[in-house]
Amino acid sequence: MTFLGMPLLPSTRRDRPTIPGGQGNIVEDESFAEVSHQHLSNQQLRNNIGHATSTIREKRADVVAELDDWEELREAGSRAKNHVMENLPEYLAEFEANFTAAGGVIHWARDADEANAIVTELAEANAPVLDSGRREVIKVKSMATQEIGLNEHLETQGIDAFETDLAELIVQLGDDKPSHILVPAIHRNRDEIRDIFEEKMPDAGDLTNDPTELAEAARRHLRHKFLTTKVAVSGANFGIADTGSLGVVESEGNGRMCLTLPETLITVMGIEKLLPSFDDLEVFLQLLPRSSTGERMNPYTSFWTGSTPGDGPQNVHLVLLDNGRTRALADEHGRTALNCIRCSACMNVCPVYERTGGHAYGSTYPGPIGAILSPLMTGVEAEENGSLPYASSLCGACYDVCPVKIDIPSILVHLRNEDAEANHSPVSSQLDTALTGASWMMSEGKRMATAESGLPIAHAVTGGEQINSLPGIAGAWTSSRDIPALPEKSFRQLWAEDEARAEEEDDES
Amino acid sequence: MTDTAREEILGRINQALGRRGGGEYVSSVSGTVPAGAPAAGPPAAGAPAEAPHAQPGAPAAGGGTVDQSADYLRTGTHEGEDLIEVLIDRLEDYKANVHRVSGDPAETIAGLLESGSKIVVPRGLDDSWLNAFTGDVSVDAPGQELSVPELDTQAAVVTASAVAIAQTGTIVLDGSPECGRRAITLVPDHHVCVVRVEDVVDIVPEGIARLTPSAALTFISGPSATSDIELKRVEGVHGPRTLDVIILGSAP
Ligand code: SF4
Repeated sequence: MTFLGMPLLPSTRRDRPTIPGGQGNIVEDESFAEVSHQHLSNQQLRNNIGHATSTIREKRADVVAELDDWEELREAGSRAKNHVMENLPEYLAEFEANFTAAGGVIHWARDADEANAIVTELAEANAPVLDSGRREVIKVKSMATQEIGLNEHLETQGIDAFETDLAELIVQLGDDKPSHILVPAIHRNRDEIRDIFEEKMPDAGDLTNDPTELAEAARRHLRHKFLTTKVAVSGANFGIADTGSLGVVESEGNGRMCLTLPETLITVMGIEKLLPSFDDLEVFLQLLPRSSTGERMNPYTSFWTGSTPGDGPQNVHLVLLDNGRTRALADEHGRTALNCIRCSACMNVCPVYERTGGHAYGSTYPGPIGAILSPLMTGVEAEENGSLPYASSLCGACYDVCPVKIDIPSILVHLRNEDAEANHSPVSSQLDTALTGASWMMSEGKRMATAESGLPIAHAVTGGEQINSLPGIAGAWTSSRDIPALPEKSFRQLWAEDEARAEEEDDES
Repeated sequence: MTDTAREEILGRINQALGRRGGGEYVSSVSGTVPAGAPAAGPPAAGAPAEAPHAQPGAPAAGGGTVDQSADYLRTGTHEGEDLIEVLIDRLEDYKANVHRVSGDPAETIAGLLESGSKIVVPRGLDDSWLNAFTGDVSVDAPGQELSVPELDTQAAVVTASAVAIAQTGTIVLDGSPECGRRAITLVPDHHVCVVRVEDVVDIVPEGIARLTPSAALTFISGPSATSDIELKRVEGVHGPRTLDVIILGSAP
């Protein structure tokens, strides 16, 4: 049950202790409204994203429907994460003791700069200088290192960081930014990828646009790096407090290559990634793959506890990263955003994300979760971040799919309130006024349904044309953003019909 | 410098949770001290970690245990031949090749390997499984580990497995003498993996319960795959591109 219409929560912002926010690639550099405006006109991007999100959405719905106890698993996942957040100092100490006892070394980093400096120092100590005069490390796809801008930092320090996930490789070679946390290059089609590979991979030769051939080219390109590089950098999906283990979930085997073959492994993990015990994996290894790629299980999952004698890297380090997480933790109403296990399900159901793509959010964390996590970690005071909580239609679909039951819509409403208070800009307060109305309307299914049933009429009146400006309160909103033509049917209606159709087709097959 | 960072981060967390001055902690959600939390209150920020290395079965040293009194399934419903059928269905769905053998697997294994090729096996593998194979077998053992370039010249690897989870088509390797080091099942392009029927469980919780957490664990569900290009699934990027699974023994 999403209480969209609940009275705006009293803000605790003023009396909240001042905990510094995060830095790096979580802070938007342009406002959502401006960037989304540019992306709305990119038809290719919208097609690619639309295709991807709808495909993953369907796969997810199918594999979730296979489990009779899905709701109970979500509940257990949510409970475990809440429990971790409430007892974070104890779990961190327990994790630290166990990881260290198994031969690992822990480093604490208050922010992006500190984390980057630690990784640089470790890379300099363990990766040899090559003939080129530079050092090299290989990388497993990781949101945390993306967030702190590690690759860019290492580059300035004479260290080349090679992304080894196919999508991250496409993004890196294309001098681009990820647009989705699960499939970062989803905004690129096969022709574009072929062109990038031909141009940027030495020895790639002439390639066709066949995905199999492109994947093979990536395999050849990276093989030598995997087998010879001395230092790898990874993120972690889970840190297990009672055993000190770390886990990485992946598909391609590039993760296993990085976690297994180099001599030194440096992992960067947010302090919120802990689970109380190894047994909790029985919940999270069901929730994550199904919510994420729509698979019963991802092809490869690796767990390691410190270093394992004779097996894998013997020099094992972990950087525990704050970078704004404690700031988010201090927000009682937003704290549960830290429960996120980065499955990306909320992105794939979000009608706003589907139209704008991930770049518009301007942060490492796009989509509905990004719209709350980025401002929670960095503060709504930064004007651009203040626009993110408005990047949502508050339809509630993100909450319904979230495997750890993060009530994103309520947190969005809470942050809008904070933004209004912090910024007092005319736009904010106008939006705030509009939102009070929206909250009231959305607070009850019946009112919402009534309003939605007016859509076909509104659609007829506007002749199905795109709306470029609206008068009054909404004017400020539409001046920087086209409102798409009013649909004949609401998202909720379409969704319900879609589900019904999918079920019918299932029954037929 | 890192020590200062540790102290400061723990301090920020305590502040964020409203634990001022390290006094007794009251949960903002339940209003009570959570089960298992230290009675004397949390350690002051920066205090050295006191948690001992957790012993199996010992109560969690830190923030207590999660109340798992609910509710989700912890045991599956499939048994016997049904269970094996689910496993086969899920493995094949993931593009693994599945073979059923009730007696000696030597012929089947030899049939999957190219005769005369070079293969690697972990030190604890049952010798008799390779009786029918004609080729060059390297045994990876402590002190005689194959180097990464050597592994790269092996056509295939043959291992046993620790646990298989039917519902998700997942095989777990745990670094035991029969499963080997992680690298040997990663670098060669072809993995022949033997799963004994008695190691097959139905659902994920049953699988997790059988594992030793401190071991280096690899969960394998089908061969390496990517969907990064227009979401078209392509099997085989960096790990072994072919996974042959031999299910050994008859269902009870
Ligand atoms: S907020 Fe929930 S749905 Fe979105 S990525 Fe995080 S865990 Fe997944």
